[in-house]
Amino acid sequence: MAADSTTDEVATWQVITGSARGAAHRASGLPNQDAVSSQDGPGGVVVAIADGHGHIRHFRSADGAALAVDVGCRAASRAASVLAADDTGEEDAERAGQELARSVVADWRSAVAGQLEQRPYTVEEQFILDLAADAPVIPYGSTLLVAVITARWLVCAQIGDGDMLAVRPDGRSFSPVAGDDRLDGRRTTSLCQPDALESFRTGAHDLRQVPLAALLLATDGYGNAQADEPWQPSVGRDLAELAACHDRHWFGQEIPGWAQRCASAEGSGDDATIALLLPEGG
Amino acid sequence: MVAQQLAADDRPEPVGVIMTGETAPYPRMPGGGISRRPLHFIILADCSGGMKGEKIQALNFAIADMLPHLAAWERDQEQAQVFIRAIAFATEPWWHIAEPQPVAQLGWKPLQPVPKGLTNMGPAFALAAQALGPGRIERRALRPAMLLITDGLATDPPGGFEAGLSALMAQPAGQAALRLAIAIGRDARSAALDRFIGDPGVPVLVADSSEDIADRLVAASLAVSRMSEVGADRGAVARRLFGTPDDVPSKIFDQDTIV
Repeated sequence: MAADSTTDEVATWQVITGSARGAAHRASGLPNQDAVSSQDGPGGVVVAIADGHGHIRHFRSADGAALAVDVGCRAASRAASVLAADDTGEEDAERAGQELARSVVADWRSAVAGQLEQRPYTVEEQFILDLAADAPVIPYGSTLLVAVITARWLVCAQIGDGDMLAVRPDGRSFSPVAGDDRLDGRRTTSLCQPDALESFRTGAHDLRQVPLAALLLATDGYGNAQADEPWQPSVGRDLAELAACHDRHWFGQEIPGWAQRCASAEGSGDDATIALLLPEGG
Repeated sequence: MVAQQLAADDRPEPVGVIMTGETAPYPRMPGGGISRRPLHFIILADCSGGMKGEKIQALNFAIADMLPHLAAWERDQEQAQVFIRAIAFATEPWWHIAEPQPVAQLGWKPLQPVPKGLTNMGPAFALAAQALGPGRIERRALRPAMLLITDGLATDPPGGFEAGLSALMAQPAGQAALRLAIAIGRDARSAALDRFIGDPGVPVLVADSSEDIADRLVAASLAVSRMSEVGADRGAVARRLFGTPDDVPSKIFDQDTIV
């Protein structure tokens, strides 16, 4: 993609998040099974969001999502340290994305095993597990979207549904990872599947070549509430406009309401989680 | 340093909450607004010659009676907006309701039987398949639901039933659809209807008489609604509504979960 501009000015990035329990979850007594986490370190900023599947097969998916964003941020922070080196090239950045996915899969499975040691399945939970003939990791099923932004690189990794939207200053937008035709709105790929690593989608983008006005990460409760189809172009345009005239404090006030609106009975009714990354001084 | 991590249950309500049910505009929210996820419900109604008289009258009455149940569920739940379409079929199929109609606004226009019309189901499945093809329903739509109502055995020419069913199952939305069938009269219950349903956990609903049709349609609408809800244990719904035994494996159990 052609460069719009180049700059040596280093942007610092702010993360604003909002998460709301879905109206349908509220009605049926289910908790919010999304999770969100971010870290800001010397290498760059990292953010992770996850959506526990919620189906009865995945009765510990809220825990699975919390573990996912925890290990996702830790692995992404390690990636940020690698990416912060001055001589990091495009191939290095792409490899960092793949290594991020590898680390996440291994660390998440290890974290699940650790939690199961501390909190084994109850008799009732074991009954459900046996009924479905599932492996012990299946009840923790969750998606994960994780992004790393350093001075030069945006590196992303995603498994399962949900959306990442990279917004350029002129309002054009793109997904920083490839699509997956298997995500049909009814089923999703998952950290709990045996071939999880193969289902990860990763991407690396040089921010000197493609400057961004914003990066949006959202669970599917956000996208499934959007009336436009596809919704990404109009959301990207509006986000670029809003980013041009509002600061992070304004977004900090607004974004929880966006999540709540999407999660309401007028939207998807599903848990909705948003993480918006905005450059300051970029 | 962890800047923010929100666990599942102890998350505080966000600042600037807009409560469920409030319809105030949110002008600064990016995008083209929000709406509920569509649930497409396609009725496939037998209008063969054998349906004439009391049966078609009972069917029309029953469908008209079922729609308010679905509309009430739509009002009460928190996720879906229900859109109805209908295919009538005899020797050939045709759209009785071609465009998806919001259930709350739909007035049922009575079906008419086709004198001497046969019960060719395959072409009706193929017509439904077209409506569920790529780009024809919203990507965010919930799993569609289909309800086949017939009083007789399929009369398709050799291979016709299978060709239509294959066309339907070739569409991801057709394969994912919750497919239900009502047989009017025990003689109408057939292996072909089981193949259409494609799930041993979901039996053909039998209406022993015209009077039973309305009850079976209400049961079907309950199945559609309950199984479309977030986190539904569809196996449990099937057991409760249909009396499916615990040891009957149901494909419903593992749908809407991981690939």
